[in-house]
Amino acid sequence: MSTTNGDGRTERLLEVKDLTVGFPTRDGIVRGVDQLTLNVGSHERLGVVGESGSGKSVMGLAILGMVLPPGRIMGGSVRWRGEDVLDPAVAGRVRGREIAMIFQDPMVSLNPLKTVGSQLRELLKRRVGLQGPAIRRRSLELLDMVGIANAGERLRAYAYELSGGMRQRVMIATALACEPTLVIADEPTTGLDVTIQDQILALLHDLSTELGMSVLMITHDLGVVAQFCDRVQVMYAGRIVERAPINEMFTDPQHPYSLGLLHSVPRVDRDDGELTGIPGEPLDRAQFPPGCAFEPRCNEAQDGCRDAPPPLLKIAERRWVACYNRPAAGSP
Amino acid sequence: MLRWLARRIIAAALVVFVVTSLVFVVTHVFTDPATVSLPLEATEEHRADRRAALGIDRPLAVQYWDFVSGLVVGDLGESFWQDQPASKLVLERLPATLKLVAGATAVTVLLAAPMGMLAAWWERRFADHAVLGFSMASISAPPFWIGYLLIIVFAVQLGWVPTFGSRGFVSLILPSFAIGLASAGRLAQMTRRGIVEELRKPYAVTALSRGFSRSYTIVHHTFRNVASGFVTMTGWELTRMFTGYTVVIEVVFAWPGVGRLAIHAIENRDLILVQAAVVVLATLVVVTNLLVDIARRMIDPRVELA
Ligand SMILES: Nc1ncnc2c1ncn2[C@@H]1O[C@H](COP(=O)(O)OP(=O)(O)OP(=O)(O)O)[C@@H](O)[C@H]1O
Ligand code: SF4
Ligand SMILES: [Mg+2]
Repeated sequence: MSTTNGDGRTERLLEVKDLTVGFPTRDGIVRGVDQLTLNVGSHERLGVVGESGSGKSVMGLAILGMVLPPGRIMGGSVRWRGEDVLDPAVAGRVRGREIAMIFQDPMVSLNPLKTVGSQLRELLKRRVGLQGPAIRRRSLELLDMVGIANAGERLRAYAYELSGGMRQRVMIATALACEPTLVIADEPTTGLDVTIQDQILALLHDLSTELGMSVLMITHDLGVVAQFCDRVQVMYAGRIVERAPINEMFTDPQHPYSLGLLHSVPRVDRDDGELTGIPGEPLDRAQFPPGCAFEPRCNEAQDGCRDAPPPLLKIAERRWVACYNRPAAGSP
Repeated sequence: MLRWLARRIIAAALVVFVVTSLVFVVTHVFTDPATVSLPLEATEEHRADRRAALGIDRPLAVQYWDFVSGLVVGDLGESFWQDQPASKLVLERLPATLKLVAGATAVTVLLAAPMGMLAAWWERRFADHAVLGFSMASISAPPFWIGYLLIIVFAVQLGWVPTFGSRGFVSLILPSFAIGLASAGRLAQMTRRGIVEELRKPYAVTALSRGFSRSYTIVHHTFRNVASGFVTMTGWELTRMFTGYTVVIEVVFAWPGVGRLAIHAIENRDLILVQAAVVVLATLVVVTNLLVDIARRMIDPRVELA
């Protein structure tokens, strides 16, 4: 059901290079995101999968130039249509209007003390520049777009008066308010009923097609990726370990971690789709080794793996892997 | 909402009743106004005479009934020091105290809210440290000392305002600051902490991610969410003012309020007048709490209509 655009026709929108975000802790600086490189083109739906703590949310915020304290962007660059998003002036323009984020927890991501209407109004007024009756008209239109019936009444509702699915729809409406070109959806279906999850995903899919938006879908659920994305990258310990077109990722995963992931998901339609069943402990970020972060759990590990993290190398057309056991394209 | 309000008002009235009854118990069971009003070496006869004069030789139940029925019509007994109805004496002084508390509250709120927001905005930067310094200093200095300091600097040295007494708005400034600074210090820290905490919450992160500036997010998103706590804390500060600060500061500034009256009543062993002052101040505390509840209900629609 996913639509892939020919490579030549897509325009580069987002270019993230070597992005590193550090959090000072007692045991030194933990890199929530480590030398991350990623590109999103126009009309593209890119998935990012990884287990809990792999740095997906940190990545999502860092793309907007945001880090929760005490974190800090330690290096790398984020460019939006060539402009540096880490420059606060550019960030101020890009946030919301070019790139809008939908967050993990719709229960708490809306202001509890503002009505749906006032949260839309402030966006339309301050970020879009609408005035007077146009604001209300557009608010109703947005709620309608995200499939909320009784829009007029819902404008007066507070978040606590809405169901989880409804809140996530409102969240999506606020993301669409400024007609962004890219939507970053950070586990947009967490905590929702399975049927609602499907509805929300279908909604996002349809909206991205209709409005021509790109989507960066963050999830730990491979089922979501399979349904939604054109391309996927696998994250482990803050790094991208594999990147591939969606079909190839499922038919021919390369990185040992990706292999483990896919084996741990016997059926794509499983309810929870949690990434479990990989031998070894889930990663403890405070003490991951200096070499490949997956080494302690890897069944293909060799001596060299412990020395330095393996670089993300191209192994075939549109395929990238970070593993010493997967020779890069062209090398013997 | 109206039913809730009615219930809250009835509850408040009950609290006033219980508190005033406790005051009665203290002044009539543990001791008695006659004994207190006489020197220690007074003879038993003397005391009996005084008791008869005050009507406290009658059974406690009768006295209590008298007290309660008096309370309902605003009769709090006779002050034997001033030879006037105690309620009249207290109510005469009440406006001065209310003015003082209003001034102090204005100082508190107008300093605490912006300082708290500023400190949160510049978290861990100079402004934050400066606000923290101010708070520590104002909280640890006793109000009477702040009062003296203000008098020495602004009244004696600079001569900008009168030293004491209540002559119009100008004379209200120093005592208001003397009371309000410590409250402002506490409230500023609470506001800062609240906003910093709120700024990490998903709804605030969402607002920032939509491109709203940090200052807009603080003022329009997070402050609203700490406002309920802010109002509650302001209520506590008002309680402290009514029950402690005003008394001290009224003495320091020779301010003709209820607190100073109570001190004079104590000096003159006028238990009835002390009792009247306590009843009025306690009522003000209860009314404050009622207003705080109403304000919180208006700020946060989720507050239970319990
Ligand atoms: N506030 C913080 N303080 C310290 N470390 C942090 C903080 N936030 C994130 N991290 C570090 O960054 C890592 C990545 O966190 P992140 O929230 O991005 O994970 P995630 O992939 O989104 O996980 P989940 O699936 O649970 O949402 C964490 O493992 C943690 O080590
Ligand atoms: S680099 Fe070594 S340890 Fe890391 S995934 Fe590849 S084989 Fe395993
Ligand atoms: Mg996350």
